[in-house]
Amino acid sequence: MKFIDWLDERLAIRQLMKVMLLEYYVPKNINFLWSFGVLIMLVLIILIVSGIFLLMYYKPDANLAFDSVNKTIMMDVEFGWLFRHVHAVGASIMFLVLFIHMGRGIYYGSFKPPRELVWLTGYFLFILMAATAFTGYLLPWGQMSYWAAQTITTLFEKIPVIGPDLVIWIRGNYIVADATLTRFFALHVVFLPLLLIFVTVVHLYAVRIVGSNNEDGIEIPKEEKKKKGIPFWPVFMSKEFFVMSVFLIFFFWLVFYKFDFAMDPINFTPANYLQTPPHIYPEWYFLAFYEVLRGFFFSQNLGLIAFVLSMLLPMFLPWIDKSPIKSGNHRPLFKIAFWIFVLDFIFLTVLGKLPPTGLYGWLGFVGSLVFFAFFIALPIISRIERKELERGGNKQ
Amino acid sequence: MKDLKILAIISILVIITYIGIEPFAKHEMHGTVPPPDYNYLDLPKKELTGNPEQGKVLFKQNCASCHSVQADGISATMDKQTAQLSFKVVPPDLSNIASIIEPHFFAAFVKDPQSATKFPKFAMPGMSYLTDEQIGHIYSYLKSVAKPQEKLTGKDILHDACTRCHSVKYQKIKAQTDPKYLNDYLGKVPPDLSLMGKAKEEEYLATFISNPQVMLPGTSMPRLGLKQESAEKVIAYLDNIADPHKEERNKLGLWVLGYLVVLAGLTYAWKRKIWSNLH
Ligand code: HEC
Ligand code: HEC
Ligand code: HEM
Repeated sequence: MKFIDWLDERLAIRQLMKVMLLEYYVPKNINFLWSFGVLIMLVLIILIVSGIFLLMYYKPDANLAFDSVNKTIMMDVEFGWLFRHVHAVGASIMFLVLFIHMGRGIYYGSFKPPRELVWLTGYFLFILMAATAFTGYLLPWGQMSYWAAQTITTLFEKIPVIGPDLVIWIRGNYIVADATLTRFFALHVVFLPLLLIFVTVVHLYAVRIVGSNNEDGIEIPKEEKKKKGIPFWPVFMSKEFFVMSVFLIFFFWLVFYKFDFAMDPINFTPANYLQTPPHIYPEWYFLAFYEVLRGFFFSQNLGLIAFVLSMLLPMFLPWIDKSPIKSGNHRPLFKIAFWIFVLDFIFLTVLGKLPPTGLYGWLGFVGSLVFFAFFIALPIISRIERKELERGGNKQ
Repeated sequence: MKDLKILAIISILVIITYIGIEPFAKHEMHGTVPPPDYNYLDLPKKELTGNPEQGKVLFKQNCASCHSVQADGISATMDKQTAQLSFKVVPPDLSNIASIIEPHFFAAFVKDPQSATKFPKFAMPGMSYLTDEQIGHIYSYLKSVAKPQEKLTGKDILHDACTRCHSVKYQKIKAQTDPKYLNDYLGKVPPDLSLMGKAKEEEYLATFISNPQVMLPGTSMPRLGLKQESAEKVIAYLDNIADPHKEERNKLGLWVLGYLVVLAGLTYAWKRKIWSNLH
């Protein structure tokens, strides 16, 4: 008791607890999709902790990296294999929970006012996470690490004027080589995680200020928050802990018994710049975007533009979808578009791994068009909804 | 209830994606692996019988210039360095070879190694002048000195059949031949086998080892005529060294999952308690 008082005098700890936990009310009409933010944080912590352990034995040198991972960590170090599996599965699952978190945001219109900054900081986190995963994937220095990095960095070559120089600047060499490995290492273990943590804090702060959205997308006025909501601590978090422990069962089942999907067999062959593997593909979470790139198989430049657009368009959702109705629960047309988009994303993900020849090439093209159709449909759907609202008065 | 419905939808989408990017994509990329052929049906089936004493003599005359049989105290006339200079590969010790490879493969191999191994540049000269009877003697001699198949481990077989070309560096096994000669001979340095058990599926390994040309047409790895038991032991060994913590992992996994199930029960009870006080 005494110590709490002592701290309170210096750090206003009681006030902080009140604001952050005890008097922070979460709406009642939310489902477990609202647990995914916390799940992301859990996975982020898992990644950081396992990453630190890996860092103790990893050697960022083109001659040593492969063996330091596959021999030292996987075979010699006590429980090294566990930390590597946790880290690799964690990275994969991070994107699963991120996609669900983002899909929730899109479906329930959580990106709309007043949550534009929550969305933007969130999207920035997604880009950062993608960069972290991409740089991290090079570190084991296997064949797929190498050739995925080689292929993706080559994309920058197409940028007008500065392209070719930019590629060399990124790689630190004419091809992906030791210099690339070392700089990706620096980005992956220091710069990107620091930025991730910082932006996460901003993201959470923004959520705390505007409050959580809910299933119906109808904002609860400040005065009613206490009545219509549940306190973050302990009520909301008690459910959260349960969701977390169920999630951990799934996560560690993957880690111990089903880790193969996060460890491409081709990556157990050391990087060899003279030998291109027959199939080069990124990790599954980039496949959809990669397929948009390949979808425009008749023009590399068009493909590249489409690729960049596909990565960036969702960021502008608050300005693309300006319908006054927030939640997809109350938007029949949007619902259809949303589910087509989700299925198309899965379709693109699967196609992204298949050889882009014959029929698959054309399907990729169609899938890419459907991807963009979603973003074209949204303003139109918003218009229709706005008109209907005006005509039907305050039915909503 | 609603939460369970959402969970069901997510699970279905995840499973569809998983099937698409794992089994389906793999099948589309690599096709189905044909079953291995350990019977070497393209070679004539033969019973090899003979007299070990006569075989030993014949062996000394025809084979011992290149091959040793350490089990019987025979060393090759040619030392390793000369051998790898002349053949670009060190001829293997043949102490256990009769337990490792199929007899009818052996018979066809001695007469015409290039076609038996399906590798036109195979370094051992064919001895078509030997009669089936003489080969039977040599075989029964080799059989008489060899450890029985049951006593051979995967590692022994690997040592006699593979490591003249392949290294297994995580097991501190260096290829008996210097890589620079192998490169001249085979057009490339054969890959290290330390992680092969993870880099390739078991079915792939079985089919590849029994007949490399099926999986990599034109490859310079020779067909070696391994018996099914030999190949299976080698593959099990490769799997084992590539994933040495499998047992530990499976055991620890149960403990961790058990602990987490208990944790989930406790957190559920706590949640129930807190939420039942809500109105
Ligand atoms: C001129 C040297 C030379 C002579 C003589 C010779 N061999 Fe070989 N033998 C080789 C070389 C070299 C290899 C390894 C070639 C390789 O692996 O590419 C080999 C490989 C073998 C193998 C391994 C094949 C496998 O499937 O793993 C067997 C068995 C064998 N020889 C048996 C014999 C027998 C029996 C004789 C005598 C009848 C004999 N060799 C005579 C040079 C010779
Ligand atoms: C005469 C030399 C030689 C011997 C003996 C030999 N190999 Fe090979 N092996 C090669 C070469 C060369 C390659 C590379 C093939 C290629 O890429 O075309 C290879 C490749 C392989 C591969 C990789 C296949 C792939 O798809 O990349 C495996 C697995 C393999 N060998 C296993 C074995 C095993 C097991 C043995 C012993 C039973 C063995 N090898 C004996 C020369 C040899
Ligand atoms: C490191 C990555 C991220 C972390 C740690 C994180 C964390 C959180 C947390 C804890 C919440 C509150 C709980 C919840 O509603 O789930 C939240 C809400 C939110 N996040 Fe994220 N998030 C991350 C990435 C993203 C991304 C990539 C996006 C979308 C592009 C995003 C968009 C949102 C939105 C819109 C909300 C408010 C949802 C609502 O109230 O309905 N976040 N985030």
